[in-house]
Amino acid sequence: MLLQLKNIFKWVNSGGQRIFLLKDINLEVEEGEFISVMGPSGSGKSTLLNVIGMLDTFDEGEYNFLDESVHTLKEKHRSNLYKEYIGFVFQSYHLLDDLTVQENLEMPLLYKKFKGSERKAMVADMLDRFNIVGKKDLFPAQLSGGQQQLVGVARALIANPKLILADEPTGNLNSQQSEEIMQLFKKLNKEEGVTIIQVTHSEKNAAYGSRIINLLDGRKV
Amino acid sequence: MLKNHLKIAWRNIKKDKLFTIIKIGGFSIGIAACLLIALFINNELSYDDHYQKKDRIFRVVMQGTMDGEVLKSVHFQRLFAETLESNYPEIEKAGKINTSELFGAGKRALRIQGSSQNMLDDGFVFADQRAVEILELDFLEGNRDEVFKNPSSIILTEEKAQRYFPNGDALGKTLFLDDNTDKPYTITGIVKNNPAIKSHFDFDFLLVIEDKNTSWTTTNYFTYVLVDENTNIPALEEKMGAILEDYFIPAQMERGMGEDFMEVLKTLEYKLQPIGDIHLKSDIKMGDGLKHGDIRFVWLFAAIAGFVLLLAVINFINLSTAKSANRAKEVGLRKTVGAFKGNLISQFLTESIIYSFISFFIGVLLAWLLLPNFNSIADKSIVMPWASWWFLPIIVVSTLVIGLFAGLYPAFYLSAFKPVNVLKGNLSIGSKSGSLRSGLVVFQFTTSVVLIIGTLIIYKQMNFILDKKLGYDKEQVLVVQGANLLNNRAQAFKERLLGLSEVKEVSISDYLPVEGTKRNGNSFRKSASGTEERSVPAQIWRVDYDYINTLGLQMKSGRGFSKEFANDSSAIVINTSMAKKLGLDNPLGRQINNGQDWTIIGVLEDFHFKNLKEDIEPLTLVLGNAPSMVSVKLANGVSDGAIEKIKGIWNDFVPNQTFEFTFLDQEYAQMHDDVKRMGKIFNSFTMFAILVACLGLFALSAFLVEQRKKEISIRLVLGAPFKSIYQLLTLDFMKLILLSILIAVPVGWYMMNRWLEDFAYKINIGWDIFLMAGFIALLVALLTISYQSISAALLKPLKNLRAE
Repeated sequence: MLLQLKNIFKWVNSGGQRIFLLKDINLEVEEGEFISVMGPSGSGKSTLLNVIGMLDTFDEGEYNFLDESVHTLKEKHRSNLYKEYIGFVFQSYHLLDDLTVQENLEMPLLYKKFKGSERKAMVADMLDRFNIVGKKDLFPAQLSGGQQQLVGVARALIANPKLILADEPTGNLNSQQSEEIMQLFKKLNKEEGVTIIQVTHSEKNAAYGSRIINLLDGRKV
Repeated sequence: MLKNHLKIAWRNIKKDKLFTIIKIGGFSIGIAACLLIALFINNELSYDDHYQKKDRIFRVVMQGTMDGEVLKSVHFQRLFAETLESNYPEIEKAGKINTSELFGAGKRALRIQGSSQNMLDDGFVFADQRAVEILELDFLEGNRDEVFKNPSSIILTEEKAQRYFPNGDALGKTLFLDDNTDKPYTITGIVKNNPAIKSHFDFDFLLVIEDKNTSWTTTNYFTYVLVDENTNIPALEEKMGAILEDYFIPAQMERGMGEDFMEVLKTLEYKLQPIGDIHLKSDIKMGDGLKHGDIRFVWLFAAIAGFVLLLAVINFINLSTAKSANRAKEVGLRKTVGAFKGNLISQFLTESIIYSFISFFIGVLLAWLLLPNFNSIADKSIVMPWASWWFLPIIVVSTLVIGLFAGLYPAFYLSAFKPVNVLKGNLSIGSKSGSLRSGLVVFQFTTSVVLIIGTLIIYKQMNFILDKKLGYDKEQVLVVQGANLLNNRAQAFKERLLGLSEVKEVSISDYLPVEGTKRNGNSFRKSASGTEERSVPAQIWRVDYDYINTLGLQMKSGRGFSKEFANDSSAIVINTSMAKKLGLDNPLGRQINNGQDWTIIGVLEDFHFKNLKEDIEPLTLVLGNAPSMVSVKLANGVSDGAIEKIKGIWNDFVPNQTFEFTFLDQEYAQMHDDVKRMGKIFNSFTMFAILVACLGLFALSAFLVEQRKKEISIRLVLGAPFKSIYQLLTLDFMKLILLSILIAVPVGWYMMNRWLEDFAYKINIGWDIFLMAGFIALLVALLTISYQSISAALLKPLKNLRAE
């Protein structure tokens, strides 16, 4: 098992009232799964994804990731854990505008103490795999949305994570671009066994996954 | 990793040009200002630093108290040095110098044997053989151990030797001074020019002392001693007291000094002033007449330099954190893909060090370009110490230290962003540190306002000095220099001048109410009363019949000198201070004595004959011959024609001497050059500070407008008029500026009050100055902010809302 959430609660206090963002979430994810999280706006999809990605904390419950109990870990260990195993893909790509495609891909490697030559090889490999060798020296602003997201996915993958968390990865893309990204996810999942959890509004995209989780007001339905 | 940091930093520098220019511009200006002041301070501190035996060389100071007031003097008897050397084994050598115009130091006319041309030159000083040895003069030609063994010896500096003897054959040549062929001087030595060496006493020509005076009551010489190693200085000072007992006091007794004066004598003691302290730590009371620095100014300037640099650093911090919203996404992203806080801190520090490095480069360049201006303002001849071994290392280390210092806060601040906040889109982080930024703005403007107040007060004091009713008329008075070359034809020269219609009055006297003319010290007693009377120290000036009219001095009572009175040769005119000190209510007709009896025929209104830092002292005028300066009061203003005519007459009389002249009002202004310089320096650094502060304010307001663009757009859509938007964006800043002014006023008042304490005659610090300073600061700030506020109020709202 890759990760397990047990009775996860997350809330904020507002005007003397406790508003639940996540309410009693239980979830088990095996390696190699492709899960789609669905639900209306404000249902807690992104919050759940952030909790899984250890970017956000929760108030109650247990979270085990690869046999580590995340809820007992110190902040520093927690961030080490996600840096090691999790790759993120964002709706608005979040590429660094000042870096070229190549440099954006290289960035995660910089922080993992890879040698310069290794980094070069890994970036070249990734550019090759995603068919964007010709774009390596362009800046994000010079790419289309679909191409940017392609880079975003490549960046998430470059350090070989076990899990990819994608928050509405096609939210800003047109249908053709969406299709391409989803095909890519499917391929990664099938051929390379990467575990993927995506948040999506689209039934069509959700259908690419092996399992769908529906959320409403912070609860699993 | 470093390469990556450098790359990112460079792209950031290139990206936001306005911010980059302001960050680097402010930083560079701060560094340039700081560097200039550092060089100035280094220059001031390096006086008298070159002696091999520096720790063993002292100047003797005598001090005592009279009526609770501390008296200090550095003038000693001719025999003093010899006596020190022979009576105290720990004193290896004792020597003396004399810089007094009264004895022929300062300006002299010089003629090379074989030439007919007299040339007026400055920088003549007297010294003896021992002084040459103690002060370790470095000879290009001549032997230090015997240059002054013979009378009529003269030493030239290398520069003067080259000027007068371009062939390099100066040594052994003969010179005449003031055209006196009876006393030829032989050049026995040429001293090396070394611009790196700075000494409290400067000379171009050194004449050997030939005084034979054995009196223990006339004091004309600075005395320097070289003591043995490990000498106990306080003990030696104590022992030196015996000289007072054995020689000085008995001599004073013999002169018939009263009991009162004995009281003063008892308080006298000798002190040894380390030679390194002379330039910066001498008391004006010592009256050595040398151009001194002031250790307090050194500290003041150091403080100003520190502040200007601090302002620049603050700007950097302010702008870095203000722009943090832009960097927040980057921080969040880098963290999600695996960056540690340490990685980010080192990234941001690298960035600030790069800024610092560029700024240092520009700053040093700027300082180098400004150095000539700075030199002329500060009256220095500082050169950029490019070649000094310490220069580069200091610059590099400062670059790193300041880069780190400026980058530390932004680095920690920026690297602390939580990725989840950033990625969720909570990008309002930039405004969080608003109170810190406000604090920094207040600090910057407080400093600026304090400097503005300082500048205004210095200028006001300067104007006060220049406009002060001095008790004499300094306008339109031309002073002919070197007139002693006229010899016995001075009177005829005067008559010829008076024949010109452009000339109103002419007077021959070396005693003028400006510095650099003759001065002396004397003491007077009322001759009728007995010896118990305390004597009054006073100047006695030798003047001619037309002196009082030429200078426009005002008589309070009695009359001036007149040819109609045969016995005016024993008449004396005194000033009001003298009358007061003598305790005479009706001084006319009374007799006073300074070894000779004088009859008081008139009392002058007090006039300022010294720097305004000093009180008006007792002064007396007697008829006498002091012929090296001729003052000419012009009738119809200063004109080239009048000067030409006077020059023509001069050339008739002394064809082999160039006509040299000065104007009394200019000399007076020169006397207060230090104040003017101070004003200029303050002014320059005030400009620096304001510029840096405004750069910061400009960028900050740009940032705030940027941040509030959406809010402004909504307000505009809802119908807000131009004025309300303008106010919205301007008022907050104005409150900060007002706060700065409130803080700055007491600080500036205190600081400048201390400065004014130096002056016996000074302005009152009024509210007008603070109002003015506040107004300037507000106006400058308003203009700075308005650019942004106005452009914001003229926004096209739709454009910004659509972008959301």
